[in-house]
Amino acid sequence: MYKTLIFAKRNFKELSRDLLTLVFTILLPVAIFLIMLFLTNQLNIPNSAFEIQNFTPATIIFSFSFLTLFTAMLVSKDRSTAFLTRLMVTPLKASDYILGYTLPIIVIALIQNITLFIIALLFGLNATFNIFLVILATIPVSIIFSSLGLMLGSILSDKQASGVTSLIIQVVAFTSGMWFDLNMVGGTFKTISYILPFAHSVDLLKYLLAGNYSEVLIPLIVVLGYMILFTILAILLFKKTGTKR
Amino acid sequence: MSIKIINLTKQYGNLTAVDKVNLEIENNQIFALLGLNGAGKTTLIKMLSCLTRPTSGDAFILGKSILKNPLDIKQQINIAPQETSIAPNLTVFENLIFISQIYGFNKVDAIAKSDQMLKLFELEEKKNVLSKRLSGGQQRRLGIAMAIISDPKILFLDEPTLGLDIVARRSLWKIINKIKENTTIILTTHYLNEVEHLANKVAIMHNGKIVANDTVDNIVKNLKVKNFEDAFLQLSQKENENV
Repeated sequence: MYKTLIFAKRNFKELSRDLLTLVFTILLPVAIFLIMLFLTNQLNIPNSAFEIQNFTPATIIFSFSFLTLFTAMLVSKDRSTAFLTRLMVTPLKASDYILGYTLPIIVIALIQNITLFIIALLFGLNATFNIFLVILATIPVSIIFSSLGLMLGSILSDKQASGVTSLIIQVVAFTSGMWFDLNMVGGTFKTISYILPFAHSVDLLKYLLAGNYSEVLIPLIVVLGYMILFTILAILLFKKTGTKR
Repeated sequence: MSIKIINLTKQYGNLTAVDKVNLEIENNQIFALLGLNGAGKTTLIKMLSCLTRPTSGDAFILGKSILKNPLDIKQQINIAPQETSIAPNLTVFENLIFISQIYGFNKVDAIAKSDQMLKLFELEEKKNVLSKRLSGGQQRRLGIAMAIISDPKILFLDEPTLGLDIVARRSLWKIINKIKENTTIILTTHYLNEVEHLANKVAIMHNGKIVANDTVDNIVKNLKVKNFEDAFLQLSQKENENV
């Protein structure tokens, strides 16, 4: 565990010292949150997605899509600079790499959603114990996003990774129900959205925040299932291509 | 004996990158592994450093099999890849501390070792500078410092002076000679004068095979050529004719 934490610490420093990480993981989601708040208050949009108890979880999930971007960039840069080749010669084990890349992402995810909750509380979200449950539930969700980043970083160059993850950010924005209620669109779009994990992730956080515990089971199972699947895929891809440049 | 290689072979589909290589490398010497691009040097080093599993054959690093004891071997070896291979957003000191802790040093020992490396590689003034802000030569020195901070018994140096000016190159040669006192160094380079200056023994690879394995002087003498460059070319061309 000592070596895992040493590697995780390095990755956290590497990410947090990059100004772009701060801008995209914290400042941009906060800006989007404030814009949605403004639209809600000023324009009276008749859309449930624009209610604070709904768009707080949706913005959290959207902000997590940048975790995929930065994980993918970190891993692909470590591959291209042969830093990973150096590490692969050390006594680190496969589990040290996976946890070492994942733990700092969980920490950044916690910073993201605590920041967003503080702002949401300032702007009228009710302070309840459910917020704590939501924060807890964001851990498996953030692992889905970091595993996705690990997969992409294992197979793509850093330039390719930034392009592909931009696409994923768009997919998350549209299929998570962030901008509109998926029930309003319905049909194939809704079906596809619910095959992917992002709408389930938003639902999980929304139901927990609203205290609808009876609705939580299905999104929780889907989120945990995707977390396990993506983690296994990330381990397999990373082991196969980790030292290839 | 540091390394004993027995019939080591690596195939990628129909391509045989390393073809039944047999070698023995003594302790505390600089062993140069030479060859044109695609000769099989990198694949051989990847197998010896437990990055790639061989298709057949085995190698024993300090008596341990690369097939059976990769983790034990990894504790005893280190590598300085050709690329920068440093953490760009960590300072010089943090990079050194990081690698030493990965090899199991506690914080106090890691700090002591890092200070020692800063002095040896003349990087003391850059201690708290982010490593991405270093010059190419300084990054190369940091990369090698990170490779020897773990006190490896065997060190793989891949093109350590590539792209360095003559002053930086000579300064690195001095350090490499110093490291040799306690470490077996496997050196790959395209600079033949570097080999003449540093290496105790040389193996030349071509098409995955070892085509020469001796001292520089003996290779030149046996082939009855003017210098080592001619010997290297002759061996490569001779092999090409056989292909």
